[in-house]
Amino acid sequence: MNTPVKIADRHGVVKLNTVTKYKKIRSALTISAFVAPAIIIYAVYVLFPIMSTLMYSFYEWDGMGVGVFVGLQNYIDLFKDAVFWRALTNNTWVVLTSVFAQIPLGLIMALMLFAPIKGIKFFSSVYFFPFLMSTVAIGLLWVLMFDPLNGVINSIINVFGFENVSWLSETNTALFAVLLVIVWQFSPFYMILFKAAIVGIPGELYEAAEIDGASSFQKFFNITLPLLMPTIVSSSILAIVGSLKAFDIFYIMTGGGPNHGTELLGTYMFKQAFINFNMGYASAIAFIMFFLALFVTIIIQVMDHFRKKKGAYGI
Amino acid sequence: MKKVLSILTIIAFMLLAACGLNGGGSTAETTSDADSSKTNDEKQTLEFWHIDTGEKELVYEEAVERFKEKHPDVEVKILQIPNDAYKQKLSVAMSGNDAPDVFHSWGGGWLKNFVDQGKVYDITEETDKSHFNELALNNATFDGKVYGMPLSLSIDVVFYNKEIFDKYGLKAPKTYDEWLNVIDTLNKNEIIPIALTNQTKWPGAYYLMNFASRIAGPELFDSAFNREGKGFDDPAYVEAGKYIQELVEKDAFNPGFNGVPYDEGQGRQLMYTGQAAMMDMTISFLNNVKQEAPEFKEKLDFFLFPTIPNGKGDQTHVGAATGPVWSVAQNSENHDLASELVKELTSAETAQNYTDRTGSLTAIKDVVPADEFTKRFYDVVQQATHLQMPYDQTLPPELAELHKDTTQAIFGLDMTPEEAAKKMEEKAKEVLK
Repeated sequence: MNTPVKIADRHGVVKLNTVTKYKKIRSALTISAFVAPAIIIYAVYVLFPIMSTLMYSFYEWDGMGVGVFVGLQNYIDLFKDAVFWRALTNNTWVVLTSVFAQIPLGLIMALMLFAPIKGIKFFSSVYFFPFLMSTVAIGLLWVLMFDPLNGVINSIINVFGFENVSWLSETNTALFAVLLVIVWQFSPFYMILFKAAIVGIPGELYEAAEIDGASSFQKFFNITLPLLMPTIVSSSILAIVGSLKAFDIFYIMTGGGPNHGTELLGTYMFKQAFINFNMGYASAIAFIMFFLALFVTIIIQVMDHFRKKKGAYGI
Repeated sequence: MKKVLSILTIIAFMLLAACGLNGGGSTAETTSDADSSKTNDEKQTLEFWHIDTGEKELVYEEAVERFKEKHPDVEVKILQIPNDAYKQKLSVAMSGNDAPDVFHSWGGGWLKNFVDQGKVYDITEETDKSHFNELALNNATFDGKVYGMPLSLSIDVVFYNKEIFDKYGLKAPKTYDEWLNVIDTLNKNEIIPIALTNQTKWPGAYYLMNFASRIAGPELFDSAFNREGKGFDDPAYVEAGKYIQELVEKDAFNPGFNGVPYDEGQGRQLMYTGQAAMMDMTISFLNNVKQEAPEFKEKLDFFLFPTIPNGKGDQTHVGAATGPVWSVAQNSENHDLASELVKELTSAETAQNYTDRTGSLTAIKDVVPADEFTKRFYDVVQQATHLQMPYDQTLPPELAELHKDTTQAIFGLDMTPEEAAKKMEEKAKEVLK
């Protein structure tokens, strides 16, 4: 008597299983069908190049013909290469200025846009202009402005009684000069990010704070800044990764010179790849750049994760 | 309803994908169609790459027209590529065996790089050596085989502003000491003696090449380059570096020269406005003057790089460069036709047009420029006993770049000449074998 029931039971279970399995497979298929285009594009244009860069970096290869496998030799040479360390130091400077000058400046500019000043819309567009200009145009413009004899900047500092400075031709001033341009160019970008984030902060918070008698400084440090934290974190990631990849403005304004004074990983990689035709060596530099960017991003993400865990504000 | 929608979306997506594939397929078909029609109609196509604009480009186009008249069944596709992108683009095409039939180069080490890899067609048989200036043709000849025909030849001279020189009673210097006197006088009168735009690095490299050639004679470089006894750490190179640093310390150049690029024109501006009196530059400077400040041409004159006391070199050793040099790619399907096109591009007629309309010199013998000023450059070349091609175009790319970097550092007083020479020789040992 019992047996048929069992069978039926089993049968039912089996049936149910196949149905859920079938459903699961189907939904998996549907999901992958929707995700596939993105995955394929990502794999072809991002993952594959990263992997092939890694592979090339183990070869001595001039970009034509067949390379010779040299193992880690490129990396060994690279770590002995004084120019590489110079470039890495310079990149660190770019990262530091991006995070500690660009972002705060962007924040200040964004805050100013919310101040009750007449013609603020006009200023908001003007502040944004530098970011809209092409980097080549910016580079050339500033090269002319930094001209040691007839440049605007030297004319201005002359008014204040300073001697002419050969901005782009001294190793120690060149880096500073280009960093100035980078700050000028990219601060507006962070301004826009912060502006959008500030708009998203609920007004009630400020009203409540006002009723409690908070000063504007207190309002800023206890409401605005904490609520902007997620934006600051993502801006920092953008700034750091962007600075590690920096290339164009340096290439145009100084070409990495004088005497490698403004050499970056990016410009050095370009020189090794397309001027010296050391594709393997250049790939090693490229991979180190990738690795650094990945490493820094992971650190920031982890730090952010713990910050959120501590119960801070954030999304 | 949802199901239907999702199915519809999937179908739409698949259709899209299919269309995309189809699209790709159809273009592939059309190109293969074009290929087959080419063979059917016996109409052959040559591809031709160059980097010049303006008058030069027109001169080439006319030469191509003449070629097409002689070969009515041949189509020539001309592609002008901006200078900056050219080197990279051609390298990529070469590595994929996809190079144009006829292409531009500057001869020297860069061309040799491709020759060594078997990418360039040997045109020794097609070349009439008596047609060319021997020294210029040598720049595209490797191991006795000709791999390119030079159309243009350029030399570097020291341009100066006649008006300023007259005003202070100066004469064009023949020796280094006279030159120093000129520099001192100009400095006293608050005129920048020499305009230099060394962010680009090659303008400064001329000084090292010229000094080295004046000190030890032009054989020095050949010996160092071919590894025949001398090296890049030769005392003459160290001395050349010291001469450069002496000039820098005497304030011979505009301040901040290592940060001033050439193409943007700030250096030329110094000349045009009379802020600076001299400039060591290739004769293409004359072309810039014509376009940018035609009235300045009246004040312009030139002298050859001065000699050094007890130096082995003299003023018949001239710094020069070739380019365009036309070559035929090994992967071309019509080596003969492509060689014919190269010949037309370097014919006497093309060369005459080239020199008269662009104010440049040509590497073709017996083509005399009509313009008086250009004629004087021509005479310099006629009397030259040696033409020194720029190191950075002769040396393999890596060494060339180091040569420019170290020379810029010498100019910036960031590196001693000894240090620079040592670095060069170390790299040379590694790269030149």
